[in-house]
Amino acid sequence: MTAGNRLATGGRIDRSRPLNFTFNGKPYTGFQGDTLASALLANGVRLTARSFKYHRPRGIVGAGVEEPATLVELMGADASGNRPATTVPLTEGLAAKAVNCWPSLEFDVGAVNQLASRFIPAGFYYKTFKWPNWHLYERPIRKAAGLAAAPSEPPATGHYETRYGHCDVLIAGAGPAGLMAALTAARAGLRVMIADEGCEAGGSLLSRRLTIGGADAMNWVAQAVAELAALPNVTHLQNATVWGYREHNYLMVTERAPANPSLLERTWRMRAGHVITATGAIERGLVFGNNDRPGVMLASAVQTYVNRYGVTPGKRAVIFTNNTSAYAVAANLAAAGVEVRAIVDSRDSVPDDARAMVPGIEIMAGKLVTEAQGARQLRGVAVAAKTGGSARIISCDLLAMSGGWNPTVHLWSQSRSTLRYDEPLATFLPDTPAQAVSAAGAANGALTLQDALRSGAEAAAQITGAQSPEIPDAPDLLYDIEPLWRVETTKGRAFLDLQNDVTVDDIHLALREGYSNVEHVKRYTTGGMGFDQGKTGNINIIGTVALAQGLAMEQVGTTTFRAPYTPVSFGAIGGLREETVALPYRHTPITDWNLAQGAFMYEAGARWRRPGYFPRAGEGLQEATNRECRAVRFGVGVYDGSPLGTFELKGRDVGRFLDYLYSNVMSSLKPGHGRYGLMLSDDGLIMDDGVCFRLDEHRWIISTSTGHADAINGYMEEMLQTRFPGWNVFITTVTSQWNNATICGPKAREVMAALGTDIDLSPESFPFMSYRDGTVAGLPARVVRVSFTGELSFEVNVAPRHMRDLWAKVMEAGQPFGILPVGSEASHVLRVEKGFLSLGHEVDGTVDAYDLGMGWAMSKKKPDYLGKRAVQIRREGAAPRRELVGVIPEPDRQIPEGAPLTPGGRKERTEGFVTACVWSVVHEKWVGLALLEDGHARHGETAHVRLKGGEVIPVRVTAPCHYDPDGEKLRS
Amino acid sequence: MPYDVTFDRLETQALYDLKGPCAALLAWAGDALPPFPDQPNTKTEAGGATLMFIGPDHWLLRADLTREDALDAALRPAEAPPEISLVRVSDTLAWFRITGPDAAEVMAVACPLDLHASRFSPDGASFTEAFGLRAFVTRCAGGFDLAVEQSFGPMVQDYLTRVTS
Amino acid sequence: MMQIPCPFCGPRNESEFSFGGPVKPPRPDPLTVSDEDWTAWLTQVPNPLGPVQEQWWHVRGCGTWLSIWRDTRTHEIVEAPDDGR
Repeated sequence: MTAGNRLATGGRIDRSRPLNFTFNGKPYTGFQGDTLASALLANGVRLTARSFKYHRPRGIVGAGVEEPATLVELMGADASGNRPATTVPLTEGLAAKAVNCWPSLEFDVGAVNQLASRFIPAGFYYKTFKWPNWHLYERPIRKAAGLAAAPSEPPATGHYETRYGHCDVLIAGAGPAGLMAALTAARAGLRVMIADEGCEAGGSLLSRRLTIGGADAMNWVAQAVAELAALPNVTHLQNATVWGYREHNYLMVTERAPANPSLLERTWRMRAGHVITATGAIERGLVFGNNDRPGVMLASAVQTYVNRYGVTPGKRAVIFTNNTSAYAVAANLAAAGVEVRAIVDSRDSVPDDARAMVPGIEIMAGKLVTEAQGARQLRGVAVAAKTGGSARIISCDLLAMSGGWNPTVHLWSQSRSTLRYDEPLATFLPDTPAQAVSAAGAANGALTLQDALRSGAEAAAQITGAQSPEIPDAPDLLYDIEPLWRVETTKGRAFLDLQNDVTVDDIHLALREGYSNVEHVKRYTTGGMGFDQGKTGNINIIGTVALAQGLAMEQVGTTTFRAPYTPVSFGAIGGLREETVALPYRHTPITDWNLAQGAFMYEAGARWRRPGYFPRAGEGLQEATNRECRAVRFGVGVYDGSPLGTFELKGRDVGRFLDYLYSNVMSSLKPGHGRYGLMLSDDGLIMDDGVCFRLDEHRWIISTSTGHADAINGYMEEMLQTRFPGWNVFITTVTSQWNNATICGPKAREVMAALGTDIDLSPESFPFMSYRDGTVAGLPARVVRVSFTGELSFEVNVAPRHMRDLWAKVMEAGQPFGILPVGSEASHVLRVEKGFLSLGHEVDGTVDAYDLGMGWAMSKKKPDYLGKRAVQIRREGAAPRRELVGVIPEPDRQIPEGAPLTPGGRKERTEGFVTACVWSVVHEKWVGLALLEDGHARHGETAHVRLKGGEVIPVRVTAPCHYDPDGEKLRS
Repeated sequence: MPYDVTFDRLETQALYDLKGPCAALLAWAGDALPPFPDQPNTKTEAGGATLMFIGPDHWLLRADLTREDALDAALRPAEAPPEISLVRVSDTLAWFRITGPDAAEVMAVACPLDLHASRFSPDGASFTEAFGLRAFVTRCAGGFDLAVEQSFGPMVQDYLTRVTS
Repeated sequence: MMQIPCPFCGPRNESEFSFGGPVKPPRPDPLTVSDEDWTAWLTQVPNPLGPVQEQWWHVRGCGTWLSIWRDTRTHEIVEAPDDGR
């Protein structure tokens, strides 16, 4: 085909800047300012797509986000799938292809579906592919119904961004109403954001030939844009869609071409004081036989191509309309030299001012197009009287259809504001706002220019409280419409939803099968789904349902409008959150040292990255872990225990508060001493465990498990602020005020001495569960004698600014003693050998302290503390309890964590499970812990692990502590 | 051009967390403190120290690290009466300084708080959210100071590098 | 994303807060309450279609535990009903 469809002059394209592009591999040329769609039409490319289900030939129908037919896949650096060709700005070297055809657009094998089409109506897939299950069929069917694949690579340069924004007024749409609203609000000094989905401001004015104040309307647009640009209180975004309207006036705006060249796309999460939806209106199609033939287009789109892009989408046109707006299209086409052969108007009488616009063009009032003819493109239309009778065939290659206008109420409705059906305009209009929102311009049913300008000004003036400004003169044809939801005397398939291939017959089928609610009709037929979300066809579906059921439009109602208004890329939602910052992470100051030692880093609770183990050359996880465990058991090791949650509590009532919080008594602690305790929630479950130290009469330090630190902090504050507001307790989080190196093992005291300290380290002077302030290796330190490994341990706490220094000195002083850094894998082994608890392993949200053999921690003396009553009630029940035991696999082998225990290993109800199983360096065999029904009474018995597949492993039941049961080592 | 900003990680700041009735804090250590700010989420400065009103009966005192020992001596946290709490928390926050013409743009990527001059005054100082974390925000000459829990320092450094690249 | 009024900080983004659940009646005295009433207090949480009083912790702000009435149908933050506590 030749490029014969471009007018010599006119339009908002730059003929001095030609752009080369390819479509389905063939090279073409367009101009700066074109969209892919306008450039294809300029090149005479009419067959641009194959339909989703029947693979019918399709062309370009619309000119913007409403496009239902032509989706393309962009390749190369711009790779992205399923983009309406009408929204792709043309760029040099753009490479695009049609998405739904194989092997080629002209010869599409899937087109045989057309022949079978009466066998694949709505619901066909649901009914047919259900045995044995849908998933067996899903893959090939999805491929056949194929849309574009997701790009395999992220864009090579640039990144996505999300940001926050705030304004007094957010205006969606920079057409005449939106610009007028923005000017009015901005002149009053409000913080204004105006965002528009188009590349250029102007909205409908870009496509129509109108005047404002006696001059070209686009002059007024240019002045408005310049005035807004000069105001510091205005943010004006083009190529930016307001696509989501959430609660509390929180809106999503995505810019597709931000000014900052580092950014691919940017999403603004806006909090607006007030919102004005000046989102315009979208033309709807008309429903008649074969209304999907390439060459059948929306009249407004035809107008856009002629006026904005200087492209004539056909040589001989017929107009089919039920309203006055298409008359201007006919006039514009005629002015561009297109032969307009007839205007087929379904109304019996046509207003005189409309007739006056199209002198010399035949107007066929009271007539309908009953069928579009032609195979791969339009060759003619059949026109008949509304009452039926013989048809007249008019040959043409372009049919511009207008079924009337739908105010774009998507954002309005997303805000949960209501709609009403307006009979004179034959459409749904904004009714009652649910948030601080108003609709203006065509989006509010102001379908002529002056009304739109006035409505924009008034919407803004209502917010500013000022007088609405003077509105310039802006003549426009009055809007008059008679609804026509479908042509009943029609031949061939009449499509309501082109994108999903939903026809009038499909709607009737759904209704016959009992899907009578419009939401059910949508789901059964898929009408109104897809990328365009039924922007052109939805109201015709509602009208078809109303006609079939004898209901009013209002009684049928609309389906729910949901975000996003138009498709949004995942990148624009995720923003910067990718790669290393996809999830938060926390480091202690020695992370660099750990990495330099080759540590394998894990996430270990509350987003902390901690070393799992320190493998040497040739070592795997098990060898490295064994080596680290042996160091602690037989020599000395050191680990970084900084991530434990740490809180300083101060006040007169801390003692009684801790007594309420912990199940055991803390208030009796003497200054300088500490105690291990359990924290329960009021429903009796174990929430956390940790140690509590008393610094002096009124100051205490407590530690929590790493993962629960924030939750415990919140819980304590909740208690103090809502339950005991009069209590004198202050809580300060000091987790990151202290870092520590915990030196543990039989040689720990020697390493401490080698470091040099002014603290007397002898067990008599500095016993287990006490702390001392002093200096260690010349650094101010608090040394605490706790042990999570079962060995003699000194937890040396310093300010984080000294942590690297301390660590280096520990490694140096410990070197003669063979000190090794210890990761969380070894810590796990050491605590399992000792039978120490781990939240999430043994403490799983079902067990209580008695089950864990820690009944001693449940104070009898205190009349009330969190969880006491609930535990009491539960223990009065007769249900057997799962109790903590040790298990030793016989024969010696590893058991997977979580493996169930069943009576005799039979396939019966489980009686417990293995919570942990580790290679014990002390016993040189596998040992584990388990929760087992009545386990405390079953020490010495054999229980049975039953693995998936039926394998049974006998285990000997023991006390939970596999090592140093009397605790002599940790007290040493 | 990417955002026109520079950001730096500041060294550790001397910080004290002060809680309790204003009168009791004044009585204990008023001489060592700037005047108490009277509006929530604002700050006052005097004698090289800044006092920030960050919560009900809750203040944060900030100064250069070199002044930490002197402040410790003046505040005597361990001896203070039970009705007030003074805790040294200098190491708990990692501080970043973001300055330049686009500092507010970078802050808007991080932070949902409205930092427009009409909403966040020159003496504004507040805990809020940045990059999904609890964060402290205040103005500095030519931009903003942003502080997060110290252990998140490397992540925020990572984030800021990405925002400004 | 709601905007929640904090008594100390003013309106702030929901993401600064941690949800603390609906406000329950005061904790009964565990030494005198019946098992049934205690269990009911522990397990029954108000969940109306409409306004509900709930607690939020301003964890990323000033640390205040506050309470609001929120309409569960709309997320609107509303005045306490006349019979509300």
